[in-house]
Amino acid sequence: MISFVKMLILLMLPLNSLGCLASELANQTWQIHGFAAQGVINVSGSDFVNDDGRLSTELTEVGINASYQLSPFLRAAGQLVYIDGGNRYNKGVRADYLLLDWSIHDSEQWLVNLYLGRFKNNHWLYSSTRDVPFTRPTIILPQGVYFDGFRDIAVGGDGANVKVRYSSDEYGNFDLNVSTGASEISTEQTKIILSEFALGDMGHENDTQLSLYWQPIYSSWRFGFALLDSDFTYKAQQHDAFSDANIVLQRYFINALYEGERWEFSSEVFQERFVMDGFYFADYHQDNFGQGYFLQSRYTVDPKLKLLMRYEHFVVNKDDRSGKKLEQLSGGAIPHYFGYLKELTFGVEYQMSERVKFQFEYHLVDGTARLTPVVLPNTQLNDDENWQMWAAQIMYWF
Amino acid sequence: MCINVIVHVSANVEQLTTSQLRRIYSKRKLRWDNDLPIVVFVLPNQHPLHQKFSLDILHIFPYQLDRIWNKLTYSGIGTAPIVVPTPKELLNAVAHTPGAIGYVDDVDQNAAINIINISK
Repeated sequence: MISFVKMLILLMLPLNSLGCLASELANQTWQIHGFAAQGVINVSGSDFVNDDGRLSTELTEVGINASYQLSPFLRAAGQLVYIDGGNRYNKGVRADYLLLDWSIHDSEQWLVNLYLGRFKNNHWLYSSTRDVPFTRPTIILPQGVYFDGFRDIAVGGDGANVKVRYSSDEYGNFDLNVSTGASEISTEQTKIILSEFALGDMGHENDTQLSLYWQPIYSSWRFGFALLDSDFTYKAQQHDAFSDANIVLQRYFINALYEGERWEFSSEVFQERFVMDGFYFADYHQDNFGQGYFLQSRYTVDPKLKLLMRYEHFVVNKDDRSGKKLEQLSGGAIPHYFGYLKELTFGVEYQMSERVKFQFEYHLVDGTARLTPVVLPNTQLNDDENWQMWAAQIMYWF
Repeated sequence: MCINVIVHVSANVEQLTTSQLRRIYSKRKLRWDNDLPIVVFVLPNQHPLHQKFSLDILHIFPYQLDRIWNKLTYSGIGTAPIVVPTPKELLNAVAHTPGAIGYVDDVDQNAAINIINISK
């Protein structure tokens, strides 16, 4: 895999020159950019990345994007990515976004854009560039919010997204995003979410999101909130162990970000409602609220070196924080620690040059609530309440 | 090191406020008052002149600008400024691009550019 990435980087070098050439076009018609990252990851005590717990190179992310200005008010843009994260998500190539950007209105203080096609999720703190390695605070994002098992569903959608930006000299900057558009769910993704034994088809019927961000004038703080409402269906196949199902997932977030000269803080707090009718059997009904948050701080030691520490806590059901009810209701089949996740992360980031960065991080985890498959978990491979992982990744971009 | 903000004469601009410059460099203002698109030129992130421009003129940490531009570029919602390697090339780019804005340390009188008076 490393040689594959080396080959891709070599292939990208001419594209780098092309990108520079494109950037030199005075009318800014074309822009071409990209990134490549390769790392190693070791997880002991869970199947987060692989089943055997050995050192893995399944930490590959490569992408290339282009933007073309079709007219003064219309732009086309797209990004292709190749990702390999082991069990975290489905390995392969994807069109990350492919959209038409229509500038509906722009003035001294207002910008209104309509994005049609496949757009990225611009609603959460790190959602829009969660798979662009050098933009992330850590290689593995806090899984309560940025659960990799939901990556392909949460990363964006096919539909429409409206972004309104208002800049006030008195009150600061406001960004409003409204989007509607569901994602394709592959057979592999169905198994990642539901169970490896699910034979049927899962569909993403609706996904509506809204977010509002506010940065006071000349402030280092930014505050936001976001809402998500999405609906899924499961159509069972013949000989399927499971039944048809309807699933509703709703999320409500608040977040804050502080960007100082040396210190940075960020936090997201959320509650999610998970309603499932069917699946285990026709009359099955589940309606519970999960809760989670993370607190993250970064310190810039010098312009090249940053240190990070983060704590996160997530519970699947706020009325069952210890997971004991989950264990009881499953007749002991699902251990209580599948009901929560507590994680402490330490990270180091070193900027090796203008376009090359190295990240290393260590995670101490208590609980297995954010492992795949989600609905019917693998309790044989994940029989440890406490598990650890470390990851190192080198990343290049242009 | 002094910093001069320069704009191509086609934009017909001689004065900008700090807030307007912040909007232009964070890509929240995309057009001049005469409707000409603004073409933003910058030096590489680690260039001392870029660092000084970012801190002293915009009052934004350079890494914050980088994050804004990366988010635009890698999520498809916009385009980042054009990076040129040296102040000399930046001056040349602004002088030859209608609607362009940039910054340099030393600048002589040039019929193609206006040196901008920055007000609060």
